[in-house]
Amino acid sequence: MVGIMNPVSREKLASLSNSVKFAIDLGPKLELCRQLKRDLLEEDAAALSEFLSHIFDLYSDPSGPVRKLATEIIGEIGVKHLEFVPEIAPFLITVLEDATPAVARQSISCSIDLFRHTLEKIAIQGLHSSELDSDLESSWSWMLKLKEKIYSIAFQPGSGGVKLVALKFVEAVILLYTPNPNGSSEPPPNEGTPIEFNISWLRGRHPFLNVGDLSIEASQRLVLLLDQLRFPTVKSLTTSMIVVLINSLSAIAKKRPAYYGRILPVLLSLDPPSFVIKGVHVYGANNALKNALLSCLQCSHPSAAPWRDRLLGALKEMEAGGLAEIALNQVHKVNGSVEDEKDHSSVIKEEKPMTKACDAAGNNVGRKRSGTEDSCDLAETSDVSGKRVRSTPSVSEESTKELNRNTSMSQGDISSAQSTTRKVDVDTGPVQQLVAMFGALVAQGEKAVGSLGILISSISADLLAEVVIANMRNLPPTHSHTDADDELLEDMCIIGSNTQAKYPSSFLVDVVSLSSTFPPIAALLNSQQSVPNEIVIQKTEVDEEVDVMAGLNSTVAYAGMAHEAENALLPGMEKIDVPTPSDIPDVSNLESGIPGLDSSFHNDGLSDAQAASSLVSTDLEDASQEQGTSFGGKSPLHVLPSISIERSEELSPKAAVNDSSGVVSSTATSVVSSHSFVLPKMSAPVVNLSDDQKDDVQKLAYIRIIEAYKQIAVAGGSQVRSSLLAYLGVELPSELDLQKLLREHILSDYINHEGHELTLRVLYRLFGEAEEESDFFSCTTAASAYETFLLAVAETLRDTFPPSDKSLSKLLGEAPCLPKSVLNLLECLCSPGISEKAEDSQSGDRVTQGLSTVWSLILLRPPIRDVCLKIALQSAVHHLEEVRMKAIRLVANKLYPLPSISQQIEDFAREMLLSAVNIDAAEITDAEGLIIESHKDSELERPSHEHQSMSSTGKDISAVSHQSETYQSGSSPSVPEAQRCMSLYFALCTKKHSLFGQIFIVYSSASKAVKQAIHRHIPILVRTMGLSSDLLEIISDPPSGSENLLMQVLQTLTEGTVPSAELIFTIKKLFDSKLKDVEILVPVLPFLPGDEVLLLFPYLVNLPLDKFQAALTRLLQGSSQSGPVLSPAEVLIAIHGIDPERDGIPLKKVTDACNACFEQRHIFTQQILAKVLNQLVEQIPLPLLFMRTVLQAIGAFPGLVGFIMEILSRLVSKQIWKYPKLWVGFLKCALLTKPQSFSVLLQLPPPQLENALNRTAALKAPLVAHASQENIRTSLPRSVLAVLGLSPESQSSSQVQTSQAHTGDTNNSEKDAVAEISKESSGAS
Amino acid sequence: MKFRYAMVCSSNQNRSMEAHCLLKKQGFHVSSYGTGTHVKLPGPSLREPNVYDFGTPYKLMFDDLRRKDPDLYKRNGILPMLKRNLSVKLAPQRWQDNAADGYFDIVFTFEEKVFDMVLEDLHNRDQVLLKSVLVINLEVKDNHEEAAVGARLAFDLCEQIEAVESWEDSIDDILTSFENKHRRKLMYSISFY
Repeated sequence: MVGIMNPVSREKLASLSNSVKFAIDLGPKLELCRQLKRDLLEEDAAALSEFLSHIFDLYSDPSGPVRKLATEIIGEIGVKHLEFVPEIAPFLITVLEDATPAVARQSISCSIDLFRHTLEKIAIQGLHSSELDSDLESSWSWMLKLKEKIYSIAFQPGSGGVKLVALKFVEAVILLYTPNPNGSSEPPPNEGTPIEFNISWLRGRHPFLNVGDLSIEASQRLVLLLDQLRFPTVKSLTTSMIVVLINSLSAIAKKRPAYYGRILPVLLSLDPPSFVIKGVHVYGANNALKNALLSCLQCSHPSAAPWRDRLLGALKEMEAGGLAEIALNQVHKVNGSVEDEKDHSSVIKEEKPMTKACDAAGNNVGRKRSGTEDSCDLAETSDVSGKRVRSTPSVSEESTKELNRNTSMSQGDISSAQSTTRKVDVDTGPVQQLVAMFGALVAQGEKAVGSLGILISSISADLLAEVVIANMRNLPPTHSHTDADDELLEDMCIIGSNTQAKYPSSFLVDVVSLSSTFPPIAALLNSQQSVPNEIVIQKTEVDEEVDVMAGLNSTVAYAGMAHEAENALLPGMEKIDVPTPSDIPDVSNLESGIPGLDSSFHNDGLSDAQAASSLVSTDLEDASQEQGTSFGGKSPLHVLPSISIERSEELSPKAAVNDSSGVVSSTATSVVSSHSFVLPKMSAPVVNLSDDQKDDVQKLAYIRIIEAYKQIAVAGGSQVRSSLLAYLGVELPSELDLQKLLREHILSDYINHEGHELTLRVLYRLFGEAEEESDFFSCTTAASAYETFLLAVAETLRDTFPPSDKSLSKLLGEAPCLPKSVLNLLECLCSPGISEKAEDSQSGDRVTQGLSTVWSLILLRPPIRDVCLKIALQSAVHHLEEVRMKAIRLVANKLYPLPSISQQIEDFAREMLLSAVNIDAAEITDAEGLIIESHKDSELERPSHEHQSMSSTGKDISAVSHQSETYQSGSSPSVPEAQRCMSLYFALCTKKHSLFGQIFIVYSSASKAVKQAIHRHIPILVRTMGLSSDLLEIISDPPSGSENLLMQVLQTLTEGTVPSAELIFTIKKLFDSKLKDVEILVPVLPFLPGDEVLLLFPYLVNLPLDKFQAALTRLLQGSSQSGPVLSPAEVLIAIHGIDPERDGIPLKKVTDACNACFEQRHIFTQQILAKVLNQLVEQIPLPLLFMRTVLQAIGAFPGLVGFIMEILSRLVSKQIWKYPKLWVGFLKCALLTKPQSFSVLLQLPPPQLENALNRTAALKAPLVAHASQENIRTSLPRSVLAVLGLSPESQSSSQVQTSQAHTGDTNNSEKDAVAEISKESSGAS
Repeated sequence: MKFRYAMVCSSNQNRSMEAHCLLKKQGFHVSSYGTGTHVKLPGPSLREPNVYDFGTPYKLMFDDLRRKDPDLYKRNGILPMLKRNLSVKLAPQRWQDNAADGYFDIVFTFEEKVFDMVLEDLHNRDQVLLKSVLVINLEVKDNHEEAAVGARLAFDLCEQIEAVESWEDSIDDILTSFENKHRRKLMYSISFY
């Protein structure tokens, strides 16, 4: 594809661009565009020039993304082929105006590339020739136009995405126009090497570009940028603008430190809280500013240096102090080798007037810096020594190098030490004042030795100890004892720095100036002035003597110093040492130090050691001489040497002794003076242990501590102590499983070891760790440890303590949080059998324990209330009745009254109730199959069962119900199951009566088993509830289908008590309005007035016989207070008062009622019957069933015959034959009661008698016989006799016929009546 | 989805992956990274974390931990998390090494430290494209539960950002309304590629 465009490719491109143009969907269109771009970028200039217009056309596309892509393509073509710039630049300018921000932004981002490349090309071309391409020139002029255009966007008021990019463009141009101090100032030897363009290549020898002009322009633009951030313009900016501006400016400042002084004042004057008035989003800007300042702080360019304090101050105000110091330390690391740095620090010290905060910061900087220098100096010194020793093999040299390296490393430590110091300094008690006094005295050097001695002897030992302790707080944090060598060197640096840090800054300034004047001896000078270091040197000297004798090498000196450094970490202590020299620790330190080093540097000859020792001693001499001169030679300089001599005399034998005997501690303690009782501890021999050994030691120590706790329990103060124990157990590395030890300790005697308190302390520690905003893995580890600990303790408490013990409940109530596993434990406790575990023999009590724990948790821990409640509720539908009842008692009595959860409980109970009803339907079908099969294999059955039950809680319930079903292999599996589900609801009903209504609703659709379960519950339930207005309301409007339930409720309500008037009223109303069933009145019948009952009587009779009998019983028994409502006589009379036709009641019902009465002979006695009959016979008309009753009465009580005869005769007088039905009965009765009835028969008028005899032929013969008796016959009228055939004139057939004709019309009906009665009596008997 | 998203946390395991997973499911163009030097996962104790290099496949970690102590890692949720992760992508990726992945429009970080690191890294890159990138910090505590919450919030925010024509013009409003709605403080910055 070189030279001439490949026709194929051209066609391809043309078709491609066409298809782009005509593609309709955005997706494919963009894809085509991208392909076009790929293809185009492979083409050469000639081909492209032809094609460019096509692409410009693409820009006319209505969709933004296509226009954006077109712009991008054009931009990239431009970058690749700069000769098109004159065409492309105008295009880009138009695109800047695009309505879609994304397209306009694309234009800018193309522009900067184009601009950079054009500039670069011009610059390089200008370097190589004095003439420029005219093409290039016009390109450049276009680019300038483009640039101006973008400038105008960047600085126009308002905001928007385009402006953000435009600002970025300005930044880029500024960077291009200004020389990069870090970049190469020479142009690349050959074009094309990828090196960042630097304007300083030009150096004013460009025909076209003037570096000066460019930089003027850059600085003008910078001013514009800065102006944006100045008040009040800044107030109109959006946060995003501010963020971008801050970032851009800090980037410029960092890359072009020359502008530091112009940019920083603006950044520093930004006041984050105030600069966003619109409001809202301060943090972003705040953070950007913080990061910008931090990055400026890290800048190592000299021109940045003067700003550091202000930067630090500002950052501190933004609460980023810590970060700032780290950053600063990094700077120092970089600058460590730069000599002029020192001058800066002193300069800084001088320029004072600032805010207080700044001052403090300045101070700090001063300190830190001097510390740093100090270690630098130290390094230098050792460097010197290294040089001197150079002739000898290179061990020391190496260490020196290392030392240098470590100098910078240690600075981190210094800064942290600094920060702690600063914190501590705040409190100023008498102790602090003393510390300060000591400091001041020590600072005066030798002059003050005397006064120091006086001061020390004048204060009490206690106070002195406190001063020492107070000063100990200034120690840096502990160092890890990993690598012996590194550590030595590191510590060594700290000697200088840390001790220095102790001194007031004024002193430091002196030191600094001194040290800068006499760098080689600075360290020694410092050590001379600062007592601790001096001791170090002295001791080193002492050591040397020992060492030389022992034949050790020079590094021992360093070793000695290093170990000294450990003590030097306690400068206060060292200070005390001055008057009362007790340096045994140092000696012992040496003891331990020497062998270790000995082994590693064994090969180095004696010469080294000698060289080193001589070096040190000469240095010391030098130093003292120097010092002597600098202090005018007359200072009490001699005091010190004398001391040192004394001491070396004193110590060296001891050291020798120690060396030989090796009994370090005993010697040490024996020599220790009263003041130095702290020191031996500090001097414990350093034995480097392997990790395992360390672990073992720690573990053993901990076990000892724990054992000790068992002994000291009586001593009191347990609060603090158990905190300590818990802390230790958690803080030490967890591999040791100290928590297990601790746990064992706690559980071995929970009560006596204050197990609860200890456990809580441990838990709180672990919890705190888990909740701390630390990284993921430590969080998780701690959380896991927490869970393990709590669970283990809880399980042990459960298993070892009696159920009545409250420890578990207390623990769970007070633990910081309850993880899921603990809740599971609780759940298993409350619902035994949930897990596979074997049933506990004490499960009943355990359940109580669990439930009471749950209760207290619900009360105490609102956040987990729901979970606990769920546990309680699950238990309340447990399949074991014992468990269930306990849980129900808790839920209904204790939990349900809590307003916050009552609704939840109610919902759950209702759901269970409904599920019982719903499941039931499903279960009835599968239960039969299930019971048979479940015995065979219950496990296999479960899934299918679950599948079938479809209610929301189906899974659990069916699983449990399944269990219960397998248990209950009896006749009706569903009743217990229904009870299981419903008991809770019933219990709630007693608390909230309105809930009861739901049962009525459910009842109608419930299965037999459920109904049965309900009926079982009702008596207890209703009795507990009593009659309330809610219940009355339910009763007054029962849903259809619930009549049986209603009946039971009413029965229960009326059992044994007098129903209230309201209840009776409600029932009556219900009867009158909705429910016409008289049955509901039965329970209250005894309490109704008699006349009302009589009105109702027909309805009662109409009831099924058994119910009528029940009602009858009630009526006759009545209530205990008012006695029977009706007497038996009244009842019978009422029955007889019923007219089947009028009342619409089948006659059969009425006769049944009668029969029922007669059955109860003890109530319906002979007398009562007589009374009833007496009354009935008077009724007009006679009751239909009268004769039937008479007949029954005779059947039941034969003794009544006489009375009956009276009745019969009264009937005769009432012309009984006029009632055809009764007449039949009458005759039947007469037949039954012959012969007593003959006299009554004979009272009949002759026609009726004749009729009677005709009807019942069986009567005729006996009656005739009876009448034939002389005494009777005489009393009979003739007509009667005639009927009987006893008349002498014999009977006339005509008469008989007449009488027959007379009674003929009634004949049929009488026959009927007889038939009926006989039928009925047979039925009744 | 017009923007490319990056979710960044320190180890590219929990928070960023939770969000990555969710956004991926919702059809966003999303990647995820960590800014740490290593991938650290909890071990049996604080002193023994499981440390992996970025680029170690999640599957490998999963198998490794399952072999070491299945109970422990199941209980503390590490195994389930890794399982989720390996369904999302192959291995944890490091933010600082993602130059080859192209530019992102929106970067979410879940910790201020990570936010700062991402910004620093972006500032240290050559900003030649002048392609703006929005970096949003949503502080999310590093545990499973909070990560899930954080992912939902991030998703919510992404949807709102997607809904506007260009975020550069309306980001303040979006974030303010988000903050008011969720009572979470956000921090954002704008950098350039």
